Amino acid sequence: MEYVIVGSSAAGVSAVEAIRSVDKSGKITVISDENYSIYSRCVLSYYLAGMMTEEKLKYRGEDFFKKHNVDSIVGKKVEAVLPGKKIKLSDGKTLSFDKLLIATGSRSKMENIPGVEKDGVFGLRNINDARKIEERLGKTKTAVMLGGGLIGLRAAYALHKRGLKVIVVVKSKHILSQMLDEEGAGFIQRRIENKGIKVITGLSAKEITGDKEVSGIILENEEKIDCQIVVIGKGVQANIELVKDAGIKTEWGIIVNESLQTNVTDVFAAGDVAQTKDLVTGESTINALWPNAVIQGKIAGLNMAGKNIKYDGSLGMNSVEFFELPTISYGITKPKGEGYEILVKKNDAQEIYKKIVLKNNKIVGFVLVNDVDNAGVYGSLIRKKIDVSSIKEELLNNNFNFAKILPLVKKYKEEFAEKEYKELVM
Amino acid sequence: MKKVYCNVTKCLGCRSCEIACAVEHSKGKTLFTAISETPLPVHRRKVQAVEEIIISDACHHCEDAPCITACMSGSMFKAEDGSTQHNEDKCVGCWMCVMVCPFGAISRRKNLAIKCDLCKDRTEGPVCVVSCPTKSLTVK
Repeated sequence: MEYVIVGSSAAGVSAVEAIRSVDKSGKITVISDENYSIYSRCVLSYYLAGMMTEEKLKYRGEDFFKKHNVDSIVGKKVEAVLPGKKIKLSDGKTLSFDKLLIATGSRSKMENIPGVEKDGVFGLRNINDARKIEERLGKTKTAVMLGGGLIGLRAAYALHKRGLKVIVVVKSKHILSQMLDEEGAGFIQRRIENKGIKVITGLSAKEITGDKEVSGIILENEEKIDCQIVVIGKGVQANIELVKDAGIKTEWGIIVNESLQTNVTDVFAAGDVAQTKDLVTGESTINALWPNAVIQGKIAGLNMAGKNIKYDGSLGMNSVEFFELPTISYGITKPKGEGYEILVKKNDAQEIYKKIVLKNNKIVGFVLVNDVDNAGVYGSLIRKKIDVSSIKEELLNNNFNFAKILPLVKKYKEEFAEKEYKELVM
Repeated sequence: MKKVYCNVTKCLGCRSCEIACAVEHSKGKTLFTAISETPLPVHRRKVQAVEEIIISDACHHCEDAPCITACMSGSMFKAEDGSTQHNEDKCVGCWMCVMVCPFGAISRRKNLAIKCDLCKDRTEGPVCVVSCPTKSLTVK
Protein backbone atom coordinates (compact mmCIF):
# COMPACT_ATOMS: atom_id res chain seq x y z
CA MET A 1 0.00 0.00 0.00
CA GLU A 2 1.36 3.43 -0.93
CA TYR A 3 0.07 6.36 1.05
CA VAL A 4 0.81 9.89 -0.04
CA ILE A 5 0.09 12.79 2.31
CA VAL A 6 0.30 16.34 1.06
CA GLY A 7 1.00 18.68 3.95
CA SER A 8 2.86 18.09 7.19
CA SER A 9 1.03 20.19 9.72
CA ALA A 10 -1.65 19.12 12.22
CA ALA A 11 -3.75 16.92 9.92
CA GLY A 12 -0.86 15.38 7.99
CA VAL A 13 1.13 14.47 11.10
CA SER A 14 -1.91 13.06 12.83
CA ALA A 15 -2.70 10.96 9.73
CA VAL A 16 0.82 9.49 9.77
CA GLU A 17 0.37 8.43 13.39
CA ALA A 18 -3.05 6.97 12.63
CA ILE A 19 -1.88 5.01 9.58
CA ARG A 20 1.08 3.60 11.47
CA SER A 21 -1.18 2.51 14.32
CA VAL A 22 -2.84 0.14 11.83
CA ASP A 23 -0.37 -0.45 9.01
CA LYS A 24 3.24 -0.86 10.09
CA SER A 25 4.70 -1.63 6.68
CA GLY A 26 2.85 0.40 4.01
CA LYS A 27 4.91 3.06 2.27
CA ILE A 28 4.09 6.57 3.47
CA THR A 29 5.32 9.67 1.68
CA VAL A 30 4.71 13.11 3.15
CA ILE A 31 5.23 16.15 0.97
CA SER A 32 5.55 19.67 2.31
CA ASP A 33 6.21 22.90 0.44
CA GLU A 34 7.98 24.26 3.48
CA ASN A 35 11.61 23.53 4.11
CA TYR A 36 11.43 22.98 7.83
CA SER A 37 10.78 20.30 10.43
CA ILE A 38 7.31 19.67 11.75
CA TYR A 39 6.23 22.68 13.75
CA SER A 40 3.07 24.17 15.17
CA ARG A 41 1.97 27.22 13.22
CA CYS A 42 -0.63 27.97 15.87
CA VAL A 43 2.01 28.91 18.40
CA LEU A 44 3.95 31.18 16.03
CA SER A 45 2.59 34.27 17.75
CA TYR A 46 3.98 33.05 21.08
CA TYR A 47 7.32 32.63 19.37
CA LEU A 48 7.04 36.10 17.86
CA ALA A 49 6.19 37.46 21.30
CA GLY A 50 9.48 36.06 22.56
CA MET A 51 7.64 33.72 24.93
CA MET A 52 9.22 30.59 23.45
CA THR A 53 12.29 29.53 21.51
CA GLU A 54 12.18 28.38 17.92
CA GLU A 55 13.11 24.91 19.12
CA LYS A 56 9.83 24.68 21.02
CA LEU A 57 7.79 25.29 17.88
CA LYS A 58 8.56 21.69 17.01
CA TYR A 59 5.69 19.82 18.56
CA ARG A 60 6.97 16.43 17.50
CA GLY A 61 10.56 15.25 17.70
CA GLU A 62 13.03 15.81 14.88
CA ASP A 63 13.02 12.06 14.33
CA PHE A 64 9.27 11.90 13.74
CA PHE A 65 9.43 10.82 10.10
CA LYS A 66 12.23 8.37 10.73
CA LYS A 67 10.46 6.91 13.72
CA HIS A 68 7.32 6.37 11.66
CA ASN A 69 9.23 5.13 8.63
CA VAL A 70 8.06 7.96 6.38
CA ASP A 71 9.65 9.25 3.19
CA SER A 72 9.65 12.99 3.62
CA ILE A 73 9.82 15.38 0.67
CA VAL A 74 10.31 18.98 1.74
CA GLY A 75 10.42 22.26 -0.12
CA LYS A 76 8.22 21.01 -2.95
CA LYS A 77 4.70 21.93 -3.78
CA VAL A 78 2.16 19.52 -5.13
CA GLU A 79 0.75 21.27 -8.15
CA ALA A 80 -1.94 18.89 -9.29
CA VAL A 81 -3.78 15.70 -8.62
CA LEU A 82 -3.72 13.82 -11.92
CA PRO A 83 -5.98 11.09 -13.28
CA GLY A 84 -4.71 7.54 -12.76
CA LYS A 85 -3.87 8.09 -9.06
CA LYS A 86 -0.89 10.34 -9.55
CA ILE A 87 0.20 13.72 -8.30
CA LYS A 88 2.49 16.24 -9.96
CA LEU A 89 5.16 18.05 -8.00
CA SER A 90 6.58 21.51 -8.60
CA ASP A 91 9.81 19.99 -9.96
CA GLY A 92 7.80 18.28 -12.71
CA LYS A 93 8.06 14.80 -11.21
CA THR A 94 5.01 12.64 -10.66
CA LEU A 95 4.27 10.27 -7.83
CA SER A 96 1.72 7.44 -7.70
CA PHE A 97 -0.47 6.62 -4.76
CA ASP A 98 -2.97 4.04 -3.61
CA LYS A 99 -4.43 6.40 -1.02
CA LEU A 100 -3.97 10.16 -1.03
CA LEU A 101 -4.57 12.61 1.78
CA ILE A 102 -4.80 16.28 0.92
CA ALA A 103 -3.88 18.22 4.04
CA THR A 104 -2.63 21.38 2.38
CA GLY A 105 -4.23 23.66 4.95
CA SER A 106 -4.99 27.28 4.31
CA ARG A 107 -3.15 30.52 3.77
CA SER A 108 -3.66 34.09 4.91
CA LYS A 109 -6.17 35.94 2.81
CA MET A 110 -4.12 38.82 1.49
CA GLU A 111 -6.28 41.82 0.85
CA ASN A 112 -6.52 43.24 -2.57
CA ILE A 113 -5.58 46.76 -1.57
CA PRO A 114 -2.95 48.92 -3.23
CA GLY A 115 0.46 48.49 -1.66
CA VAL A 116 -0.07 44.99 -0.31
CA GLU A 117 3.06 43.80 -2.16
CA LYS A 118 5.40 46.16 -0.30
CA ASP A 119 8.18 44.96 1.96
CA GLY A 120 6.91 44.90 5.50
CA VAL A 121 3.45 43.54 4.73
CA PHE A 122 2.93 40.08 6.18
CA GLY A 123 0.49 37.35 7.02
CA LEU A 124 1.35 35.34 10.11
CA ARG A 125 0.97 31.84 8.87
CA ASN A 126 4.29 30.11 8.68
CA ILE A 127 7.73 30.16 10.18
CA ASN A 128 9.06 32.36 7.40
CA ASP A 129 6.47 35.04 8.12
CA ALA A 130 7.46 35.02 11.77
CA ARG A 131 11.16 35.21 10.97
CA LYS A 132 10.72 38.05 8.51
CA ILE A 133 8.62 40.02 10.96
CA GLU A 134 11.25 39.42 13.59
CA GLU A 135 14.04 40.64 11.28
CA ARG A 136 12.15 43.85 10.77
CA LEU A 137 11.53 44.63 14.43
CA GLY A 138 14.73 46.65 14.73
CA LYS A 139 13.56 49.27 12.29
CA THR A 140 9.94 49.30 13.41
CA LYS A 141 8.25 51.67 15.82
CA THR A 142 4.64 51.09 14.89
CA ALA A 143 2.86 48.02 13.58
CA VAL A 144 -0.65 47.96 12.16
CA MET A 145 -2.84 44.87 12.11
CA LEU A 146 -5.48 44.82 9.45
CA GLY A 147 -8.23 42.62 10.83
CA GLY A 148 -9.39 41.95 14.37
CA GLY A 149 -9.59 38.19 14.14
CA LEU A 150 -7.56 35.73 16.10
CA ILE A 151 -4.47 35.86 13.90
CA GLY A 152 -4.44 39.65 13.81
CA LEU A 153 -4.92 39.99 17.54
CA ARG A 154 -2.39 37.33 18.44
CA ALA A 155 0.12 39.11 16.22
CA ALA A 156 -0.82 42.43 17.80
CA TYR A 157 -0.32 41.01 21.26
CA ALA A 158 3.03 39.53 20.29
CA LEU A 159 4.36 42.76 18.79
CA HIS A 160 3.11 44.75 21.76
CA LYS A 161 5.10 42.39 23.99
CA ARG A 162 8.14 43.17 21.84
CA GLY A 163 7.74 46.83 22.65
CA LEU A 164 6.15 48.16 19.47
CA LYS A 165 3.31 50.60 19.28
CA VAL A 166 0.44 48.54 17.90
CA ILE A 167 -2.75 49.61 16.16
CA VAL A 168 -5.50 47.18 15.19
CA VAL A 169 -7.80 48.24 12.36
CA VAL A 170 -11.09 46.34 12.24
CA LYS A 171 -13.84 46.75 9.67
CA SER A 172 -16.46 45.17 11.96
CA LYS A 173 -18.11 46.88 14.88
CA HIS A 174 -15.91 44.95 17.28
CA ILE A 175 -12.87 42.69 17.39
CA LEU A 176 -13.09 38.89 17.15
CA SER A 177 -16.44 39.18 15.39
CA GLN A 178 -16.26 35.60 14.10
CA MET A 179 -15.65 34.12 17.48
CA LEU A 180 -17.50 36.34 19.92
CA ASP A 181 -20.59 38.42 20.47
CA GLU A 182 -20.18 42.17 20.90
CA GLU A 183 -20.46 42.08 24.67
CA GLY A 184 -17.85 39.35 25.16
CA ALA A 185 -15.49 40.96 22.69
CA GLY A 186 -15.92 44.24 24.56
CA PHE A 187 -14.21 42.83 27.62
CA ILE A 188 -11.17 41.83 25.58
CA GLN A 189 -11.15 45.07 23.64
CA ARG A 190 -11.19 47.15 26.84
CA ARG A 191 -8.42 45.05 28.34
CA ILE A 192 -6.09 45.33 25.36
CA GLU A 193 -6.82 49.04 24.97
CA ASN A 194 -6.05 49.62 28.66
CA LYS A 195 -2.74 47.88 28.10
CA GLY A 196 -1.86 50.18 25.24
CA ILE A 197 -2.98 48.49 22.02
CA LYS A 198 -5.07 50.92 19.98
CA VAL A 199 -8.19 49.55 18.31
CA ILE A 200 -9.92 51.33 15.44
CA THR A 201 -13.30 49.79 14.54
CA GLY A 202 -15.67 50.28 11.63
CA LEU A 203 -12.94 51.18 9.18
CA SER A 204 -10.60 49.43 6.83
CA ALA A 205 -7.40 50.49 5.15
CA LYS A 206 -7.73 51.65 1.57
CA GLU A 207 -4.05 51.89 0.81
CA ILE A 208 -0.68 50.82 2.10
CA THR A 209 1.82 53.60 1.41
CA GLY A 210 5.58 53.69 0.94
CA ASP A 211 8.09 53.20 -1.85
CA LYS A 212 9.48 49.72 -1.78
CA GLU A 213 8.92 49.44 1.94
CA VAL A 214 5.83 50.15 3.99
CA SER A 215 5.72 53.63 5.50
CA GLY A 216 2.09 53.78 6.52
CA ILE A 217 -1.54 53.14 5.74
CA ILE A 218 -4.43 55.32 4.68
CA LEU A 219 -7.82 54.53 6.17
CA GLU A 220 -11.16 54.85 4.37
CA ASN A 221 -11.74 58.17 6.15
CA GLU A 222 -8.41 59.46 4.72
CA GLU A 223 -6.71 59.28 8.10
CA LYS A 224 -3.03 58.42 7.73
CA ILE A 225 -1.10 56.22 10.11
CA ASP A 226 2.69 55.89 9.96
CA CYS A 227 3.88 52.33 10.42
CA GLN A 228 6.73 50.08 9.38
CA ILE A 229 4.97 46.71 9.63
CA VAL A 230 1.51 45.73 8.42
CA VAL A 231 0.16 42.31 9.38
CA ILE A 232 -2.88 41.16 7.51
CA GLY A 233 -5.24 39.03 9.54
CA LYS A 234 -8.31 38.91 7.37
CA GLY A 235 -8.93 35.22 7.79
CA VAL A 236 -7.66 32.31 5.77
CA GLN A 237 -8.47 30.61 2.51
CA ALA A 238 -8.11 26.92 1.79
CA ASN A 239 -5.29 25.72 -0.45
CA ILE A 240 -7.44 23.87 -2.96
CA GLU A 241 -5.72 24.82 -6.22
CA LEU A 242 -4.09 21.41 -6.65
CA VAL A 243 -7.43 19.68 -7.20
CA LYS A 244 -8.99 22.15 -9.56
CA ASP A 245 -8.75 19.93 -12.66
CA ALA A 246 -9.06 16.64 -10.84
CA GLY A 247 -12.84 16.35 -10.74
CA ILE A 248 -12.79 16.76 -6.96
CA LYS A 249 -15.70 18.73 -5.58
CA THR A 250 -14.84 21.99 -3.86
CA GLU A 251 -16.64 24.98 -2.46
CA TRP A 252 -14.69 26.98 0.13
CA GLY A 253 -12.64 23.89 0.70
CA ILE A 254 -12.51 20.32 -0.54
CA ILE A 255 -15.83 18.69 0.19
CA VAL A 256 -15.54 15.42 2.08
CA ASN A 257 -18.05 12.87 3.34
CA GLU A 258 -18.34 11.29 6.81
CA SER A 259 -15.31 9.14 6.08
CA LEU A 260 -13.37 12.28 5.12
CA GLN A 261 -13.14 10.97 1.58
CA THR A 262 -13.68 13.28 -1.37
CA ASN A 263 -16.01 12.40 -4.24
CA VAL A 264 -13.02 10.68 -5.85
CA THR A 265 -12.35 7.23 -4.37
CA ASP A 266 -9.14 6.90 -2.36
CA VAL A 267 -8.60 10.65 -2.20
CA PHE A 268 -9.15 12.04 1.29
CA ALA A 269 -8.90 15.54 2.72
CA ALA A 270 -8.43 16.74 6.31
CA GLY A 271 -7.64 19.90 8.23
CA ASP A 272 -8.12 23.51 7.16
CA VAL A 273 -8.51 22.47 3.52
CA ALA A 274 -11.44 20.12 4.20
CA GLN A 275 -15.03 21.26 4.18
CA THR A 276 -17.05 19.15 6.60
CA LYS A 277 -20.30 19.23 8.50
CA ASP A 278 -20.44 21.52 11.50
CA LEU A 279 -21.48 19.43 14.47
CA VAL A 280 -23.67 22.15 15.97
CA THR A 281 -25.24 23.89 12.99
CA GLY A 282 -25.24 20.90 10.65
CA GLU A 283 -24.02 23.18 7.87
CA SER A 284 -21.21 22.31 5.50
CA THR A 285 -18.31 24.56 6.45
CA ILE A 286 -14.64 24.80 7.39
CA ASN A 287 -13.79 25.23 11.05
CA ALA A 288 -10.11 25.89 10.49
CA LEU A 289 -8.79 24.98 13.88
CA TRP A 290 -6.01 22.85 15.29
CA PRO A 291 -8.10 20.30 17.27
CA ASN A 292 -10.44 19.75 14.31
CA ALA A 293 -7.47 19.22 12.00
CA VAL A 294 -5.87 16.67 14.33
CA ILE A 295 -9.07 14.64 14.69
CA GLN A 296 -9.76 14.77 10.96
CA GLY A 297 -6.21 13.69 10.15
CA LYS A 298 -6.55 10.81 12.54
CA ILE A 299 -9.87 9.58 11.13
CA ALA A 300 -8.78 10.06 7.52
CA GLY A 301 -5.58 8.15 8.26
CA LEU A 302 -7.42 5.27 9.89
CA ASN A 303 -9.87 5.07 6.98
CA MET A 304 -7.03 5.17 4.46
CA ALA A 305 -5.52 2.23 6.28
CA GLY A 306 -8.71 0.24 5.91
CA LYS A 307 -10.77 1.15 8.96
CA ASN A 308 -14.26 2.48 8.67
CA ILE A 309 -14.55 5.33 11.15
CA LYS A 310 -17.19 8.02 10.84
CA TYR A 311 -16.43 11.66 11.56
CA ASP A 312 -19.24 13.33 13.48
CA GLY A 313 -18.40 16.87 12.43
CA SER A 314 -16.19 19.81 13.24
CA LEU A 315 -16.70 22.42 15.89
CA GLY A 316 -16.36 26.14 15.76
CA MET A 317 -14.53 26.89 18.98
CA ASN A 318 -11.61 28.91 20.15
CA SER A 319 -9.54 29.91 23.09
CA VAL A 320 -7.44 33.02 23.58
CA GLU A 321 -5.77 34.85 26.37
CA PHE A 322 -4.57 38.41 26.16
CA PHE A 323 -3.04 40.17 29.15
CA GLU A 324 -4.19 37.49 31.61
CA LEU A 325 -7.79 37.60 30.39
CA PRO A 326 -8.71 34.12 29.16
CA THR A 327 -11.66 33.69 26.81
CA ILE A 328 -13.20 30.59 25.29
CA SER A 329 -16.01 30.45 22.77
CA TYR A 330 -17.73 27.37 21.42
CA GLY A 331 -20.50 26.67 18.93
CA ILE A 332 -23.16 29.30 18.24
CA THR A 333 -22.33 32.50 20.12
CA LYS A 334 -24.48 34.93 18.15
CA PRO A 335 -27.73 33.10 17.39
CA LYS A 336 -29.80 34.33 14.51
CA GLY A 337 -33.41 33.30 14.09
CA GLU A 338 -36.06 31.86 16.36
CA GLY A 339 -36.08 29.41 19.20
CA TYR A 340 -32.91 30.30 21.06
CA GLU A 341 -32.71 30.86 24.79
CA ILE A 342 -29.81 32.88 26.14
CA LEU A 343 -28.45 32.79 29.67
CA VAL A 344 -26.05 35.55 30.66
CA LYS A 345 -24.03 36.37 33.73
CA LYS A 346 -21.87 39.42 33.83
CA ASN A 347 -19.68 41.13 36.36
CA ASP A 348 -18.00 44.23 35.01
CA ALA A 349 -15.82 44.80 38.07
CA GLN A 350 -14.38 41.31 37.93
CA GLU A 351 -14.39 41.34 34.12
CA ILE A 352 -16.38 38.11 34.05
CA TYR A 353 -18.84 37.37 31.28
CA LYS A 354 -20.58 34.08 30.69
CA LYS A 355 -23.18 33.46 28.06
CA ILE A 356 -24.82 30.18 27.21
CA VAL A 357 -26.98 29.73 24.13
CA LEU A 358 -29.62 27.00 24.24
CA LYS A 359 -32.05 25.61 21.72
CA ASN A 360 -34.75 23.14 22.74
CA ASN A 361 -33.09 22.92 26.16
CA LYS A 362 -29.80 21.81 24.65
CA ILE A 363 -26.65 23.93 24.79
CA VAL A 364 -25.58 24.96 21.30
CA GLY A 365 -22.91 27.50 22.18
CA PHE A 366 -21.22 29.56 24.86
CA VAL A 367 -18.85 32.43 25.57
CA LEU A 368 -16.74 32.45 28.73
CA VAL A 369 -14.60 35.43 29.63
CA ASN A 370 -12.27 35.22 32.64
CA ASP A 371 -13.98 32.13 34.07
CA VAL A 372 -13.16 29.41 31.60
CA ASP A 373 -12.17 26.40 33.68
CA ASN A 374 -15.29 24.37 32.97
CA ALA A 375 -15.48 25.14 29.25
CA GLY A 376 -14.94 21.50 28.33
CA VAL A 377 -17.80 20.36 30.57
CA TYR A 378 -20.23 22.62 28.69
CA GLY A 379 -18.55 21.48 25.49
CA SER A 380 -19.29 17.83 26.24
CA LEU A 381 -22.98 18.72 26.70
CA ILE A 382 -22.94 20.40 23.28
CA ARG A 383 -21.21 17.50 21.54
CA LYS A 384 -23.54 14.95 23.09
CA LYS A 385 -26.63 17.11 22.54
CA ILE A 386 -27.87 16.58 26.11
CA ASP A 387 -31.15 18.05 27.39
CA VAL A 388 -30.00 20.26 30.25
CA SER A 389 -33.40 21.50 31.48
CA SER A 390 -32.87 19.81 34.86
CA ILE A 391 -29.64 21.73 35.55
CA LYS A 392 -30.36 24.96 33.71
CA GLU A 393 -30.28 27.00 36.94
CA GLU A 394 -26.87 25.62 37.80
CA LEU A 395 -25.19 26.34 34.47
CA LEU A 396 -24.02 29.86 35.23
CA ASN A 397 -23.43 29.41 38.96
CA ASN A 398 -19.94 30.19 40.15
CA ASN A 399 -19.56 26.67 41.49
CA PHE A 400 -20.63 24.92 38.29
CA ASN A 401 -18.35 21.96 37.67
CA PHE A 402 -18.29 18.42 36.37
CA ALA A 403 -20.17 17.05 39.39
CA LYS A 404 -23.24 19.10 38.39
CA ILE A 405 -23.71 16.99 35.29
CA LEU A 406 -23.41 13.63 37.11
CA PRO A 407 -27.21 13.20 37.25
CA LEU A 408 -27.23 13.63 33.46
CA VAL A 409 -24.37 11.16 33.04
CA LYS A 410 -26.48 8.66 34.99
CA LYS A 411 -29.61 9.40 33.00
CA TYR A 412 -28.16 9.46 29.48
CA LYS A 413 -25.95 6.39 29.59
CA GLU A 414 -25.94 5.91 25.83
CA GLU A 415 -24.70 9.40 25.15
CA PHE A 416 -22.03 9.25 27.84
CA ALA A 417 -20.62 6.08 26.32
CA GLU A 418 -16.90 6.68 26.80
CA LYS A 419 -15.04 4.34 29.09
CA GLU A 420 -14.17 7.18 31.44
CA TYR A 421 -17.84 7.81 32.27
CA LYS A 422 -18.53 4.11 32.74
CA GLU A 423 -15.70 3.97 35.26
CA LEU A 424 -17.37 6.46 37.57
CA VAL A 425 -18.36 4.75 40.81
CA MET A 426 -21.79 6.20 41.56
CA MET B 1 -2.88 1.48 33.31
CA LYS B 2 -3.38 2.28 36.97
CA LYS B 3 -5.71 5.18 37.72
CA VAL B 4 -7.32 6.72 40.76
CA TYR B 5 -11.02 6.08 41.23
CA CYS B 6 -13.38 7.81 43.62
CA ASN B 7 -16.21 5.90 45.22
CA VAL B 8 -18.81 8.64 45.65
CA THR B 9 -20.74 6.62 48.21
CA LYS B 10 -17.76 6.92 50.57
CA CYS B 11 -16.46 10.43 49.84
CA LEU B 12 -17.35 12.93 52.58
CA GLY B 13 -15.83 15.92 50.84
CA CYS B 14 -13.19 16.58 53.51
CA ARG B 15 -10.69 17.83 50.93
CA SER B 16 -7.76 15.98 52.50
CA CYS B 17 -6.91 14.80 48.99
CA GLU B 18 -6.75 18.38 47.70
CA ILE B 19 -4.31 19.38 50.43
CA ALA B 20 -2.16 16.28 49.99
CA CYS B 21 -2.11 16.86 46.23
CA ALA B 22 -1.05 20.49 46.54
CA VAL B 23 1.65 19.64 49.09
CA GLU B 24 2.99 16.80 46.95
CA HIS B 25 3.27 19.21 44.03
CA SER B 26 4.96 21.94 46.06
CA LYS B 27 8.67 22.58 46.14
CA GLY B 28 9.17 21.78 49.83
CA LYS B 29 6.67 18.92 49.95
CA THR B 30 5.50 19.79 53.45
CA LEU B 31 2.31 21.64 54.36
CA PHE B 32 4.27 24.09 56.48
CA THR B 33 6.53 25.20 53.61
CA ALA B 34 3.90 24.81 50.88
CA ILE B 35 1.63 27.53 52.24
CA SER B 36 4.35 30.15 51.95
CA GLU B 37 5.58 29.27 48.47
CA THR B 38 5.23 31.60 45.50
CA PRO B 39 3.48 30.69 43.36
CA LEU B 40 1.27 28.68 45.66
CA PRO B 41 1.15 25.01 44.74
CA VAL B 42 -2.02 24.00 42.92
CA HIS B 43 -4.05 20.91 43.73
CA ARG B 44 -5.00 18.86 40.71
CA ARG B 45 -7.77 16.96 42.43
CA LYS B 46 -11.02 18.81 43.08
CA VAL B 47 -13.78 17.96 45.49
CA GLN B 48 -17.11 18.73 43.87
CA ALA B 49 -20.70 18.13 44.84
CA VAL B 50 -24.17 17.92 43.40
CA GLU B 51 -27.27 17.26 45.46
CA GLU B 52 -26.22 14.44 47.81
CA ILE B 53 -23.32 13.23 45.66
CA ILE B 54 -19.77 14.29 46.54
CA ILE B 55 -16.90 13.36 44.28
CA SER B 56 -13.19 13.95 44.39
CA ASP B 57 -12.32 14.24 40.72
CA ALA B 58 -9.20 14.80 38.65
CA CYS B 59 -7.84 13.95 35.23
CA HIS B 60 -9.29 10.65 34.05
CA HIS B 61 -6.29 9.96 31.80
CA CYS B 62 -8.77 9.33 28.98
CA GLU B 63 -7.94 6.56 26.57
CA ASP B 64 -8.70 8.85 23.65
CA ALA B 65 -7.60 12.04 25.34
CA PRO B 66 -9.15 15.24 23.92
CA CYS B 67 -6.51 17.41 25.61
CA ILE B 68 -3.76 15.71 23.62
CA THR B 69 -5.65 16.14 20.37
CA ALA B 70 -6.28 19.80 21.09
CA CYS B 71 -2.81 20.68 22.38
CA MET B 72 -1.15 22.82 19.75
CA SER B 73 2.22 23.06 21.46
CA GLY B 74 2.70 19.31 21.83
CA SER B 75 2.94 19.56 25.60
CA MET B 76 0.19 17.02 26.40
CA PHE B 77 1.20 13.47 25.64
CA LYS B 78 0.56 9.82 26.40
CA ALA B 79 3.26 8.33 28.56
CA GLU B 80 4.34 4.74 28.03
CA ASP B 81 2.16 3.57 30.91
CA GLY B 82 -0.91 5.04 29.17
CA SER B 83 -1.31 7.98 31.51
CA THR B 84 -1.80 11.46 30.07
CA GLN B 85 1.16 13.59 31.06
CA HIS B 86 2.04 17.22 30.57
CA ASN B 87 5.39 18.64 29.60
CA GLU B 88 5.04 21.99 31.37
CA ASP B 89 8.16 23.22 29.66
CA LYS B 90 6.38 23.30 26.29
CA CYS B 91 3.04 24.72 27.46
CA VAL B 92 2.16 28.22 26.20
CA GLY B 93 -1.11 28.64 28.07
CA CYS B 94 -3.44 28.66 25.06
CA TRP B 95 -6.14 26.77 27.03
CA MET B 96 -7.13 24.55 24.15
CA CYS B 97 -6.95 21.66 26.65
CA VAL B 98 -9.25 23.50 29.05
CA MET B 99 -11.64 24.07 26.15
CA VAL B 100 -11.99 20.35 25.43
CA CYS B 101 -11.53 18.55 28.78
CA PRO B 102 -14.96 16.99 29.45
CA PHE B 103 -14.21 16.76 33.17
CA GLY B 104 -13.02 20.31 33.69
CA ALA B 105 -9.94 18.69 35.19
CA ILE B 106 -7.30 21.11 33.94
CA SER B 107 -6.39 24.14 36.02
CA ARG B 108 -4.54 27.24 34.96
CA ARG B 109 -1.66 28.95 36.68
CA LYS B 110 -0.24 31.95 34.86
CA ASN B 111 0.39 30.58 31.39
CA LEU B 112 0.66 26.98 32.45
CA ALA B 113 -1.92 24.22 32.29
CA ILE B 114 -1.89 22.02 35.39
CA LYS B 115 -3.37 18.57 35.77
CA CYS B 116 -3.09 15.29 37.67
CA ASP B 117 0.14 13.46 36.86
CA LEU B 118 -0.69 10.44 39.04
CA CYS B 119 2.24 11.52 41.25
CA LYS B 120 4.60 10.03 38.68
CA ASP B 121 7.64 11.08 40.69
CA ARG B 122 6.38 9.52 43.91
CA THR B 123 7.49 5.91 44.09
CA GLU B 124 4.66 4.94 46.48
CA GLY B 125 2.01 6.08 43.94
CA PRO B 126 -0.67 8.79 44.06
CA VAL B 127 -0.62 10.65 47.37
CA CYS B 128 -4.36 11.40 47.30
CA VAL B 129 -5.14 7.73 47.83
CA VAL B 130 -3.21 7.45 51.08
CA SER B 131 -4.49 10.82 52.26
CA CYS B 132 -8.14 9.77 52.04
CA PRO B 133 -9.49 9.00 55.54
CA THR B 134 -12.59 7.19 54.24
CA LYS B 135 -10.75 5.09 51.66
CA SER B 136 -12.99 6.42 48.92
CA LEU B 137 -9.99 6.89 46.64
CA THR B 138 -8.36 3.78 45.31
CA VAL B 139 -5.68 3.17 42.74
CA LYS B 140 -6.07 0.20 40.44
